[in-house]
This record gives sequence, structure tokens and C-alpha cells, in this order.
Amino acid sequence: MKRLAVLVRTALRVNFCLSVLRPRELLKKRKDFWMVPLIGLGLLGLIPVLIYFLKGLRWIFNLLAPLGQQAAVLTFGLLAGQFLILVFGFYYVLSAFYFSRDLPLLVSLPVTPTQVLLSKFTVILVNEWVTAAPLVLPVLIQYGLLARSGPRYWIEAVFIYLLLPVIPLAVVALLAVGLMRVVNVGRKKDFLIVAGSLALLAAAMGGQFWLSRSMNGSFDAQAVIRVFAAPDGLVQKIGARFPPSVWATRALAFGFRGEGPAGLLLYLSLSLGLFAAILAAGKRFFYRGLIGLSERIGPRKELSRGDLERGVDGGLRPARAVFRRELRIMNRTPIFLLNGVLSALLLPIVFILMGKFDTGTGSDSARLLGGLISSKPMVAVFASALFLTMCASLNGTASSAFSREGAQFWMSKVIPVAPRIQVRGKFLHALAIAALGLAAAAAAGGFVFAIRPLYLAAALALAVPATFLLTAVGMMIDLARPLLVWTNPQKAIKQNFNVLLALFADAGILFGGYRLVKLLAGTGLRTKAVILCVGAVFGILAAVSYVLLGAYAERRYRAIES
Amino acid sequence: MIDIRGVSKSYAKGKVKAVDDLTLTVRPGEIFGFLGPNGAGKTTTIKLIVGLLRPDAGTITVAGWDNQREALKAKAVTTYVPDTPEIYERLTGLEYLNFIGDVYGVPKAARLERIRKWLDVFELSPAVSSPIQSYSHGMKQKIVLIAALLPTPQVMVLDEPMVGLDARAAHHMKEMMREHCDRGGTLFFSTHIMEVAERLCDRIGIIHKGRLIAGGTMAELRAAASTQAVDAAGTSLESIFLELTDK
Ligand SMILES: Nc1ncnc2c1ncn2[C@@H]1O[C@H](COP(=O)(O)OP(=O)(O)OP(=O)(O)O)[C@@H](O)[C@H]1O
Ligand SMILES: [Mg+2]
Repeated sequence: MKRLAVLVRTALRVNFCLSVLRPRELLKKRKDFWMVPLIGLGLLGLIPVLIYFLKGLRWIFNLLAPLGQQAAVLTFGLLAGQFLILVFGFYYVLSAFYFSRDLPLLVSLPVTPTQVLLSKFTVILVNEWVTAAPLVLPVLIQYGLLARSGPRYWIEAVFIYLLLPVIPLAVVALLAVGLMRVVNVGRKKDFLIVAGSLALLAAAMGGQFWLSRSMNGSFDAQAVIRVFAAPDGLVQKIGARFPPSVWATRALAFGFRGEGPAGLLLYLSLSLGLFAAILAAGKRFFYRGLIGLSERIGPRKELSRGDLERGVDGGLRPARAVFRRELRIMNRTPIFLLNGVLSALLLPIVFILMGKFDTGTGSDSARLLGGLISSKPMVAVFASALFLTMCASLNGTASSAFSREGAQFWMSKVIPVAPRIQVRGKFLHALAIAALGLAAAAAAGGFVFAIRPLYLAAALALAVPATFLLTAVGMMIDLARPLLVWTNPQKAIKQNFNVLLALFADAGILFGGYRLVKLLAGTGLRTKAVILCVGAVFGILAAVSYVLLGAYAERRYRAIES
Repeated sequence: MIDIRGVSKSYAKGKVKAVDDLTLTVRPGEIFGFLGPNGAGKTTTIKLIVGLLRPDAGTITVAGWDNQREALKAKAVTTYVPDTPEIYERLTGLEYLNFIGDVYGVPKAARLERIRKWLDVFELSPAVSSPIQSYSHGMKQKIVLIAALLPTPQVMVLDEPMVGLDARAAHHMKEMMREHCDRGGTLFFSTHIMEVAERLCDRIGIIHKGRLIAGGTMAELRAAASTQAVDAAGTSLESIFLELTDK
């Protein structure tokens, strides 16, 4: 037991970079003080979102309460949370078991495989709890407050939250194990993670289709009456294809009355049962996974003279050479690829799915939402611009641009290329990925939300300078204190504090943009004029930030020692 | 060619003084060997020369360029081989060499000719189109070395370049070093192998606890040590080294 505790503690420490970060010491150092306002700015941007979320929940609750359907709020929250866990769980599982370099070390220690497994699972669970928290906790808390629930509710809520990740994790673990059997992990580890992610995406899309089919079509008046007539009709409707969320809702909402106890029992036993099953399966497949850790590459082929001649190319300009290097390294390092390229694409898709969940009636409601928005050009353009910017910028490419170099940063210091030029290559690379996100988001806006092409074009004209700005800011944040000491590439991007910090800064900047729009709209300016003004402001800020980035790079490259 | 004047560098906020008021000159066309016990400050000095570290005090010029104020010009004439070959694992050897060629501005024809030559010499042709992560330690060492040779720099700075090379590669390495200096290039390298230093170097510097305790040709070193040494003419570099660093 003591050994297990030590293992778990070390694993958590490694996972969250606790020993590197040490917040208290961070603040003691004067030169890191600039981060405080940045975090403040970020919180300023995030708090309104949270408040709107809570308000929205209350609105829905009050809407449903007279019909006796308020428990559907819980079902929605739990279902959405578990879906989120499903999406992220795949990465967590793979990174815990196939990409962590400590496994060979751990296996050589005097600990049992079960202990190692348990410590790994704890890390995954903690990650999942953190991931789901912003979505699920407000739901649980707001419902508890509005329904004036007693201590029983709160205690049950804690247990249900703690067990929330188990069921989706079981699904993900199954997928991971299944993929491992199909793919020869030893050689194609990189392929595995990309293919797995794509499979998961496809599965998510399919699942969404399957879910929405059960909800669509039947929405004639009679069906609606039938749904609302049953005491938890809406709950059942939403959770029809995923009963655990219904059980949990019943346990929470009904307590010890009616179907409450049965729901609790079902939920608890399924979760605990699955947890035991994952553990048992993990133990069986554990060592098999380890074989994949020592990579081998197939036999080398002899290079002919012609091959070499074709392979050697001439005079790329340095900025383009840097760009190409960034592109290659990112595309060939699965962790980077997933957090950069794929997450730029993933976001639009997740947003679409969430949009559908919100209204629960499939893509018709998304079109309805789009139509509703389109009747107000100002809202349509700025909401779309926000969506586009977020999809383009909320991946960690810019804010890990320097950290990703890690131990190889010495090369950037010795090559005779001005930091300003090197940074141009990196900036272009981050923009290229942002462009992917922009395109995906624009497609989503056009096809799913049916935003009018003209509005979409205006939104794009706003989103491009905003993306420039956020990219430059993200790069500056990473440049201020790049994380160059790592062996596991996860550290450089996924567990990089700079990426989080940049997200905070982005939220703050976007919130600033929102205030600016409100301010201008309040003066009675015409819509076109407001759009032009905001576009101009972001354009100027983008240009300034790019120049600053170049100057800052000249200073920082000299100062960073490696 | 390399001029180090009064350079000091400490780590851990001044707690560890790695290089202490070092002054040293390497002349054009010279092979300079840099010796010293573990932790003496060799790697630190080398990183200062190539600009990876910033000196706390003093100045360093390379080919007449101050390596802090005119850093790009100094870098353009220098290449560096670090003690551990940390390079882009996800690139193939050839892609890495192309990257180096691009950033140093090596034209295509010269690039092809030199890559072909050095790949043959170091027997690396079969591996050059595989990702570097599949290379052995010695192979990585070789590809970094080829990358350093690719721009035909005026100054090469190498940190323990023989470590991990097989006998044949080490032999070619020494020939390459000689060749580089015959062309008028300058070479600064650190090593722990006394025979190599003794046979190859025009001049030698010995660093101990961050200070230069001896410097000059073999003859000058012998003269400096001969007050204690029994048989001056036959004194090997090894015994001089042991005597000087025995404190
Ligand atoms: N990053 C660092 N942080 C703190 N101290 C360091 C660091 N790098 C080197 N030192 C210290 O500086 C001193 C000189 O180290 P340096 O690496 O220059 O030695 P060296 O002569 O290259 O040794 P070796 O022969 O083992 O390679 C040593 O005392 C070492 O502990
Ligand atoms: Mg050293």
C-alpha cells in the first residue's frame, strides 16, 4: 500500500510537472511577475463564460421545472461530461501506457504490475476529473442549489462525479486494446495514435448520428406531449441511448424515493464492475504493450547515386528551411500532431456536436440557431468570427513553438540565422495550422449552422487578423520561458504551462474584443462600420504584435542558454 | 582566430564558477587541443565560444567578430559539434543535412559533392535516408560531424569528438581535422585522449578548476613542467597533465 502511494504520488507529480512548476517559487522570482496580470486577464475572460453558463442552466431549469422535467438538466450535464471524457480519454490512455518513458523503469522496480497499473489509472482519472470539471461541476452545483437539495444529494453527487470517467474509459480502453491487436504496435506506434484518433472521431460522428436519429423525426406535437407527460420523460429521451446517465440522474434527483435507489445501485455497480474489468484486462495486456516501447525501424535500403542527387536540394531561404523543419517535426511526432493539427480540426467538430447536444434535436436545431443568428447580422458576423478564431488559435502550436525544440534548441542558437528570421518560419508554421482550423470552422459554420456566405466572409476577415494576434501572443508567451528540458514530447505541448497561459491570454484578448464590439454597437454605429473598426483594431494589433515578436526573439535567443 | 579575453562564467547564480578569468588565443590554421579533468570547464568554454552561453565577464572574438555583438557574422564562419549528439530525431539524416545546408547557404552543387564525400568516408550512406532516431550513438555523432563539415567553415569547435567513434571513423576524423587546417581552417577541440592531443595538436591548453594552468606547444609544455619532471625530453603529455592537475 505504501509503495502504491509513492508510485501514485510520483506519477501525479510527473504528470502535472509539480516539481518543475512550484507556483510559490515562481511568484517569488520577480521576473515572472508579468504572468500574474496575464492570468488575471484570462480569468476576466473566462468568468463571464462561466456566469453565462450558470445563467443558462438556471433558465433551462426554470423552464422545465413547471413541467416536472428539470432533472433533464442533470442528464444533459452528465452525458456531455462523459462524452468529453470519451474524446480526451483516448489520448490519456495512450499516453499513459504507450508514450510514457517511465514504464520500462517502473517494470524493473520491485512493484507489481497491478500497482503500476493502478498508479497509471489514478493519473488518467485525475486528468479526466480536471477535464470534465468546467462542464459537469457547474451543472451539478447549479442543480443542487436550484432544487434546494439536502446533504444526500451532495454526497451522491461527489460519488457520481468521481465515477463519471469510468464508463467512457472502459469504452476507450477497449478501443485502444482492439487497435493494438490489429496494428503491430512495435513498429507502427505513430500510426496507431493517428489512426486511433481518426477512428474515434468517426465513431463519435457515427454515435452522434445514432443519437440524434432517436431524437429527430418524432417531434410532432403528440410525441412531445407524451415525452412531457411521463415524470422523467425528457430525461429518458435525452439519455435513451446511454442509460447510465439516466440512472445517475434518477439517483441524484429522486434520492431514496421511487427509482432513485435502483438508479444508484445500477450506476455504482456498472462503474465499479467495469473498473475491475479494465484492471483485469490491463494486467493481461500490460506487458504486450511494453514491447511497443522499444521502437524498431525496418531494414535500411541502400541509397543509389541518383537517390542522393534527388535527395540533396538547393538553396531554400532560411525562413522556409525553418518552416519545413517545423512542419516535418510536428507531423512526425504524434503527440505534436494531435495537439496541433488534429486539435485544430477537432475543435470545430466538437463544437458542432455540442451545439447539437445543446438543443437535443439534431442538426435541424443547429440550422435553426444559424437562421436565428443570421437575422441579426451583427451577432452573426461576430459570433462566427469568434468561433473561427477559437478554432484557429486554441491549439498549442504557437504557444509551444520554442518548447517543442527541447534539447535541440542549441541548434537554433548556433546557426547563422537571425532569430527574427527563424521566428518567421515558426510563425508561418503556426499560421498554416491555424488556417486548417479556420477552414474547418468556416465549413462547419456554412454547412451546419447555415451562416450566410457574406457573413462568413466578413467573419473570416475579422478572424484572420485576430488569429495573427493570438499566434504572436502565444509565441511570445512561450518565448518568455520555454520549457526546453524534457524527454517525453508530451511535456512540451500537452503538459506545458505556457500553452495554458496562452489560452488564458487568448480568452482575455477575445473578451476585450467582445467589450469593444459592445462599446461600438452602443454608440449607434452601423453594423458595417463596427465590423470595419474592430477589424482595423485587430489588424493594427496584429501588425504590432508581429513586430514585437521579432524584436523579443532577438533578445530572448541571446538570453536563453542551452 | 579565436580570442578569449578575461572570460568568466558561473552557474547556479554564481555558486559554481565553471570558467574563471580565462584568456586564450587560437591562431589561424591551428589545431588547438583543450585538456582538463572532468568538470574543469571545457564544455563551458566551448559553449561560450559558439555563443550557447553568455559570459559573465570578458569578450570572445571569432575571426575578428565579437561573438555577442556581431553574433551572426561569428556564427556564419563557425560550426560546432556538441559532446552529446542531440539532433532532430524525426528527420532523416539527409533532411537534416539539407536543413544545415539551407541555413548556412551552401549551394546545391557543393552540397551534393561534400555530402557524397563525407558519407562515403564515414560509411553512413546506407542510413542517410532513415530517421535519425534509428541511428546508433556513433552514427549520430558522425552525422553531426558531417553537418559541421558541410559549410566548410573557417572555424570548427568540437567537444570530445572521438567519443563513441569506432577505430576507423576515429582515424578518418583525425585526417579530416588535419585536412581542415591544411586548408587554412582553425580547429578547437576538447579531449581526454592524451595520445590524440599529443600527436595532432599544434598547441595545447590545460584547464583546471576553470583556470588555464598551462598552454603552448608540446615543447613549451615540457619546458614548463621540466622543473619537476625527471627526463624532460621524453616526458609524455600524460605525465605533464597528471603533474599539473594534481591539486
Ligand atoms: N548546467 C549547469 N548547471 C550548473 N553547473 C554546471 C552546469 N554545467 C556545468 N556545470 C558545472 O560547471 C563545471 C564545469 O563543467 P564543464 O561541463 O564545463 O566541465 P568539462 O570540463 O566539460 O567536464 P567533462 O570532462 O566531464 O566533460 C562543473 O563543476 C560542472 O558541475
Ligand atoms: Mg564536457
